[in-house]
Amino acid sequence: MSRLRRDPRMERAAHRIAGTPRPRFDLAAASAATSAATSAAPGRLRRDPRGEERLALVPGTPRRRLDRTQRVALAPAGAVPAAAMAETAPRLVVIAEPAYLVAVVPDAPGGRLTPHDRQVIGAARLLADAGGGAVLALVEMPGEDLAAAGVDRVLGLPVAGYDPEAKAALLHAVLDGLDIRHALLPESADGADLARRLAALTGEALFAGAESLTAKAITRAAQGRRIEQRRAPPRLITLAADASAPHGGAPHEAIPVVFALPTLAPGAILSAEFVPADPASVGLDEADFVVSAGNGVHDFTAFRALVAALNATPGASRMVCDAGLMPRAAQVGASGTVLDARCYFALGIAGAPQHLQGVARCEHVVAVNTDLHAAMIERAGLAIVADAQKVMPALIDALTGAGAAEAQP
Amino acid sequence: MKIAILFSAGRHAASGRPAPVPVELQAIRLARELIGQAAGDAAGDAAGDLSGDAPGVITGFHAGPDAGPLKDALGHGLSRLVQLSIGAQDDPLPSLAAALGAERFDLVLAGRSGQGGEDAGLLPYALARALGLPIVADACALAAGPQPGTLSLEQALPRGARRRLILRLPALITVHPAAPAPLPFAFAAMRRGMLETREGVPAPRAAGEVEERAYRARPKLIAKSAAGASATERLKAATEAASSGGRLLVDPSPEDAAREILAHLRQIGVLRH
Amino acid sequence: MTPIMNPATPAAFCLSLVILSLAGLALALMARRARLWCAGRPVPVEWARGLRALPKRYLVDVHHVVGRDPYAARMHALAAGGLLGGSGLALLALIPALGGARLYWALIALAFAGALAGGVMVGRRRYPARPARLSGGRFQILPLLLTFYAAGGFLVAFDAALGGALPALAWPALALAIAGGLGLVLQIDRGPMRHAFAGAAHLVVHPRPGRFEGERATALAPLDLDAPRLGVATPADFAFNRLVGFDACIQCGRCETACPAFAAGQPLNPKRLIQDLAAALQPNATNATYKGSPYPNARAVAGIGGPDLPLVGAGAMIHPDTLWSCTTCRACVEECPMMIEHVDAIIDLRRHQTLELGALPAKASPPLMELRYADEPGGRALAARTDFAAGLTLPLILATGRADVLLWLGEGAYELRYGRTLRALVTLLQMAGVDFAVLGPEERDCGDLARRLGDEATFQRLAAENIATLARYSFSRILTADPHALHALRNEYRAFGGAYEVIHHTAFLDGLLAGGRLTVGALHEARVTYHDPCYLGRYNGEIDAPRRLLDRLGLARLEMERAGKRSMCCGGGGGAPVSDIEGERRIPDIRMAQAAATGAGIVAVACPQCSAMLDGVTGERPEVHDIAELVLMAVEAGSAKAARKDAAGKDVAGKDAARKDAARPPEPVA
Repeated sequence: MSRLRRDPRMERAAHRIAGTPRPRFDLAAASAATSAATSAAPGRLRRDPRGEERLALVPGTPRRRLDRTQRVALAPAGAVPAAAMAETAPRLVVIAEPAYLVAVVPDAPGGRLTPHDRQVIGAARLLADAGGGAVLALVEMPGEDLAAAGVDRVLGLPVAGYDPEAKAALLHAVLDGLDIRHALLPESADGADLARRLAALTGEALFAGAESLTAKAITRAAQGRRIEQRRAPPRLITLAADASAPHGGAPHEAIPVVFALPTLAPGAILSAEFVPADPASVGLDEADFVVSAGNGVHDFTAFRALVAALNATPGASRMVCDAGLMPRAAQVGASGTVLDARCYFALGIAGAPQHLQGVARCEHVVAVNTDLHAAMIERAGLAIVADAQKVMPALIDALTGAGAAEAQP
Repeated sequence: MKIAILFSAGRHAASGRPAPVPVELQAIRLARELIGQAAGDAAGDAAGDLSGDAPGVITGFHAGPDAGPLKDALGHGLSRLVQLSIGAQDDPLPSLAAALGAERFDLVLAGRSGQGGEDAGLLPYALARALGLPIVADACALAAGPQPGTLSLEQALPRGARRRLILRLPALITVHPAAPAPLPFAFAAMRRGMLETREGVPAPRAAGEVEERAYRARPKLIAKSAAGASATERLKAATEAASSGGRLLVDPSPEDAAREILAHLRQIGVLRH
Repeated sequence: MTPIMNPATPAAFCLSLVILSLAGLALALMARRARLWCAGRPVPVEWARGLRALPKRYLVDVHHVVGRDPYAARMHALAAGGLLGGSGLALLALIPALGGARLYWALIALAFAGALAGGVMVGRRRYPARPARLSGGRFQILPLLLTFYAAGGFLVAFDAALGGALPALAWPALALAIAGGLGLVLQIDRGPMRHAFAGAAHLVVHPRPGRFEGERATALAPLDLDAPRLGVATPADFAFNRLVGFDACIQCGRCETACPAFAAGQPLNPKRLIQDLAAALQPNATNATYKGSPYPNARAVAGIGGPDLPLVGAGAMIHPDTLWSCTTCRACVEECPMMIEHVDAIIDLRRHQTLELGALPAKASPPLMELRYADEPGGRALAARTDFAAGLTLPLILATGRADVLLWLGEGAYELRYGRTLRALVTLLQMAGVDFAVLGPEERDCGDLARRLGDEATFQRLAAENIATLARYSFSRILTADPHALHALRNEYRAFGGAYEVIHHTAFLDGLLAGGRLTVGALHEARVTYHDPCYLGRYNGEIDAPRRLLDRLGLARLEMERAGKRSMCCGGGGGAPVSDIEGERRIPDIRMAQAAATGAGIVAVACPQCSAMLDGVTGERPEVHDIAELVLMAVEAGSAKAARKDAAGKDVAGKDAARKDAARPPEPVA
């Protein structure tokens, strides 16, 4: 796997005697030159299909099964403790004497890991397992889910409120004081900010927004996603969302470590206040969950009540906006707003092409429509052929009923 | 209030042609509205009228071999653009640090990340450090702070959430795409705008150990079952998320429909209770 | 005794003198108004040519438009002919040889009788109920003044013709004529009578003289991008002959009934717009004197102006939403009997808004930005333009450097809906063995959207780059399915040095069918109505080829009430879909209702914009098909039939195949 791929053309070119009109080759004289060329040339590595297959082999199944998409398993087989391969019995993986540390700074809002955080820890796990290292999580509030996510060591960062400047300074101190080979952060709003602060503090290069990661190579997009940069993983890395799989194996021990953190002077931020997104007022282009009314909806009081009960952002088809039943700003579609929402819930919308353009980027679509052949029904992940007018009150009842049941335990 | 805006040599996402980075054009609008507020004008008017603005109050800076289409920023409400002439491969940081250090700006605005270069968004941070300024990322609204010399800003967080910060000036702030759209382009304003060329500080960049090749989109990792799961489970996980054609219920009772919908919404995680 | 040397009656003599002084007063008032026109920009005008052509322009071209409303034509002929004829003859009666002739006065009486009849017709149109499209105020008293003057003149002349038999009637009649005549003359400055002299002047100095010489003359004039001020901000920025044009308006309201934006309740009324422009020419102008129908859902404006004050803005005469409501369909221009160029005025005003102020509607700005950096209003890759043809072989002209026909794909190629049309067209071209090729990734947007939105800088850049691209290849003509591209390439690129023979796909397919290069079968039972694209019908006068083509397909063709050059817009032109000014209804819904009213099952379209707009109409409605799709259906139906016929002559196995063939639905039935 680590042998260089031969390049016969280059070798031939190296043998060629220059300055003659006819191509002539001198095999004896060039041997020194070729060996120099091969050692210096950054030729492509030779693939090792057998090794890849070995890595893709799913252990513990009686029949031979390959899982080529499983990137976590791409770590060299030798690095994985043999015990973990053979038996699934050890419930806790202990790395007592780590060769080095891979630091992870998850966002962990409120102490809970986000899916993106888990992916970053998964990536850190990959880098740590490649050489017997351990994953160190640097978090403001140590939560319980760190062990399962694959964290070996935990260090609390005492930062009061929103003060990324202080947090970066503390991280800088940790990076200086401990043997940290890699520091991984999510390329999320806060993680990206923190990583860049850290890069500016340390003066190191940051590999920002990595899109794929193995122990040997890491890639990212640059120049407006026109080229891909690739190199061996450096120290500072931020990882794009959905670029790496979360740790799927046995939990690690997540034991706290002690480190003397410096005290810091107050920064330039005088006050910070979190304003949660108000789904009712957030712009459609930023909304996460949009519930939209079309021609099949007549009772707009019920519709608004449903939107409020679902804690969603209201939208509407062009017809509804034209009729003045919903404001123009609520119009979804090519001539209205193109959504970036995670989920789109269409009530009584047939799905004109222009409307479908507006929901093209939505991951999940739920549709209720009386017409089985409506384009929206075809587009939806969950499609219900029914009268939206009748489904709406049932939904409101189900939601308020669920709320009431929760309120009286 | 003196405001500087940093402009990077961007490229259009589809055509690949040189183009200004939209978020930097949005920064112009934020700056104009902030100045308009400070001057006591109706903010909307000050923003909409491209002719009235004391030159020099908002200055654009670009370090690069050629201003190119960045001149168009002058048509989006910027009155003066300073191009610091450096080589294409030079590091713009020393030039910008020298130019910004020479004049005292209360506020430096920059885009969140470039579009067409390294695209790492590191430069504002390095510049803030070089200038000794605090930096705040992802602003989508600016207003004068409660005390003089402070600035109140809204930081855009994912999914429409915001963080309201009060910040002591001077500071460097990066702008988020959720900020108001750029002012429309006015050809004549671009014609009128001042473009000034100065010598920059040549700073050849050290060759990195980065290998570059044509970009190839990687399949997004989809949520899938754990490594040990059976082939059927993994096939199901792979196909369910990929295909749009999902479950279809024909004429269920409204209650059944409601139950199905809520279960589905909970499963995909948009409904939390 | 020499009765020939004396006037017929003293009253008649006085009438002549009164008319002489009224004419003098009229001339003074006209001169005052004409001085205001001098505030406009000077432009070279062919005065001699205009003056020579005036009678023809008036009697033929103007009356061609007026004659679409026969009542108005008769009314105008009587009123104007009688008034001018009677007054002119009475003036000549000051020549003693004529003034003494009783027969001459009888002639004058006849002319005034005609004017009286015309005046009564004007009155009958306005009383008891005034139609909404006609203006009130000064216009409402016009029939009174007309009848007073004409009746007075008639009685005086009649008395003179009788040799002074009715002296008791003659003097009061003279008073009546003076009252009416003075009223009419005073209406020259601000009132309806202004149209008479401003209209004549407009016909002489018309900014598009080609319109009177059989040309369509619809291309917008290029803007000098180095001019100190771009576009029109104040009345004084208009060329003087445009100002004359605004004054020529008689407020007949034909434009407002034709205007799609007006019908949709958007804040545009072409008549009101022209009146606001004309009113603003007066120093210290207000818009208060206008008494016609307002802008629908009018946005509030201060309504003040002057020759050097801005025209557009909440603090001026015209709200920006009014400008951006226009679809540039030219229906108002087509209907205007005074040949006023509304669309040119709107584009000039838009140019100032866009180029100088950057004051575009919020949603119109992003497409222009994409055009600047990607040459494509959607910001899509130019190479993706040919994606619609996946599975078809689409020859690139780059490969050979030449082709007989260059197929210009246009913006529609990116749309799923119009991609089907282009696929049909490409298939037909291949069936007919046409030597064609496309520019592929070298085709930039034609710049139509940019130009209509006032972004002349982007248009001129795109035009220059497209012309440079086209210059590299050899082809005999350009074929396009997009009338907007057709208009730009055929008419508007000419000013930038690009002269091409451009043919629309309807005309081209018609030619292929006529030449027998494609054979069609009949499409059964289909009733179709054809919607004329504005940029094909009105802008380029091509209304016959598409209809001929539909007839060749054996379709029952029904006509909408508004068709041909007087067709109604789909709402897709002039950047209106991106400006998206709010109204009460949508233009395509109105048009689709008109199409449905014919009872047709199919609306045939010939333009990507029409196709998108009409296909966006929801609910029960006829299907929307581009003509190319219909032709392909017919060709396929024809070949299926031919296959059946072939098979019928063969053996049993062949019959089986034919039966199988027939089982497959060969004819698409609407």
